[in-house]
Amino acid sequence: MNLIRKKRRITQDLIVGILLGIPPLVLIGILLYLLSTIIITGFSYLEPQKLFMSIIDGGYLEAILGTILLLVGGILFALPPAMATAIYLSEYASRSSRIVRAVELAINTLASIPSIVLGLFGLALFVKIMGFGISLISGWLTLSIMVLPILTRSIEEALKMVPREFREVAISLGASRWQATTDIVLPAAGPGIITGIVLGLLRVAGETAAILFTACVLTAVGIPISPLQPVISLTYYLFVLLFTSPDPTYSRAFTVASILLLIIIILDIALVVLRRLYRGHVRVYL
Amino acid sequence: MIDLEQIYTELRKFWDRLWSERNIRLLLFMATIFTIIIIFLIGLFVFMESIPTYTSGVFWETLTQLDWSPSYKHYGVLPLIFSSILVVGIALAIATPLGILSAVFITEFAPKKLRDLLESLLELLAAIPSVIYGFMGLIYLVPAIANTFGLSSGRTALAGGLVLAIMVLPTISSISTEMMRYVPQAYREVALALGATKWQTARSVVIPTARSGIVAAIILAFGRAIGETVAVLFVCGASGSFPAFPFIFEPVFPLTAVIAMYMGESVVGGELYSVLFYLGVILFLISIGINLLADYFVHKAKEKMEVGVVL
Repeated sequence: MNLIRKKRRITQDLIVGILLGIPPLVLIGILLYLLSTIIITGFSYLEPQKLFMSIIDGGYLEAILGTILLLVGGILFALPPAMATAIYLSEYASRSSRIVRAVELAINTLASIPSIVLGLFGLALFVKIMGFGISLISGWLTLSIMVLPILTRSIEEALKMVPREFREVAISLGASRWQATTDIVLPAAGPGIITGIVLGLLRVAGETAAILFTACVLTAVGIPISPLQPVISLTYYLFVLLFTSPDPTYSRAFTVASILLLIIIILDIALVVLRRLYRGHVRVYL
Repeated sequence: MIDLEQIYTELRKFWDRLWSERNIRLLLFMATIFTIIIIFLIGLFVFMESIPTYTSGVFWETLTQLDWSPSYKHYGVLPLIFSSILVVGIALAIATPLGILSAVFITEFAPKKLRDLLESLLELLAAIPSVIYGFMGLIYLVPAIANTFGLSSGRTALAGGLVLAIMVLPTISSISTEMMRYVPQAYREVALALGATKWQTARSVVIPTARSGIVAAIILAFGRAIGETVAVLFVCGASGSFPAFPFIFEPVFPLTAVIAMYMGESVVGGELYSVLFYLGVILFLISIGINLLADYFVHKAKEKMEVGVVL
């Protein structure tokens, strides 16, 4: 009697589990199918030598270069303040202090400000008031504000994963807090910090709204030689192509989208691999 | 004769003193405070550029005019706000049940391999750039909607809502998943020991315990959706007047899309320019409010479950 009831319960659990699993899996399946269609279509339109030709000649060089430049600069500008904040929050401040609570709320708030509003801010401050114009540097500064919360939070997370004993041992051996941080905690948290940086890169690579008014102009052809010059990014170029494409098949839009998706997928795979490695890494220490 | 060695030692001393523990602490603290300051700076500068709107009397027009068409100097913001809320409402109506049920599946039912796969796929979807979602919406969804419902154009509130639903699904499901994981294992064990099925446990123990956290997830998804720009720009139709009932098959024009679309043609310092910044101020205030609300619910959820552990 009891056994029958137990059996019925197990089958019921199984059926409900399958019913719950189907909708998200089907939806994700459809999206992955559409994304792979875009990539395949995009690359079928692409002649490889065009990757290194100017947009004027029907190539994609400026867009690829612009995306890489914005990526690198945006992260580099955000890294020092993000590191400093994360170190302060995890190593120096006492966990329950009011300032920590305020900063944590501020980080979440900054993360929730729409990127188009950050774009407006960049336009007002960097482009107009500081006089950088629509340029690479305005884009870098705007993007760095955008990724600041993501970087700070993931670096802080990585630092907190380092066991407390590490610090205690270093300090008991006469190291200062700063020495314990630079010599012991940061190296131990290294893979976690790199994971955070990749997360930031993912966010910046796909951004359009924040650079729309601050960094990008469609006439920015040729290789940029100064940070005061505007650029074209893959996202911006795709945006413009969707807006004003004279071509109903969107052939160039497909190609730009597929190059962009390829970059995103590579970064995402890097993220998954790093997480795997890092988990293994921590296990060694524990 | 200059004693190089002495200068070197002096400099060295100065350098060491500069990087004393106290100064380092101060420097780190200043960087930390910078995060708070930057939010005020964002608010301040976006507001400053919008000041002409309030001083020139355009402000009242934005609240009384019922359409947005800058070429006729009609700056009604009400249809824009209505559009934003409508599109986000459609998105949440779809993504909320789907996201919560996915989270239940991930935390309560899925075997480990499937759970890991589903979570990393959801993370990949969250990383897909919004302009790609806009592109997919434009080439796949818009024609599909036009065909299905026999419309002349598929660029409607429904299209925007569906694109946003897909974009916020990872937000809702990942935060809900995290919150459900906070629910103490003992709660589940008690329910199961009393003879409940897994679904009954999820429905009457896990979801109610994690409720505040799930509410926070929905609020954060609302914030993310209302700030989304590029994805909705191409699929919503860009019509600046109030949509006719029943709304969802009409073209709309969310706040964010308006800013992205008109900034290029506005003259710096001109009337349209300041009105667009005024829209930015509205979005800024919405996002601050949303975030405070979400923060309240996250803390409520965590407190509740920490008490639970003690009991």
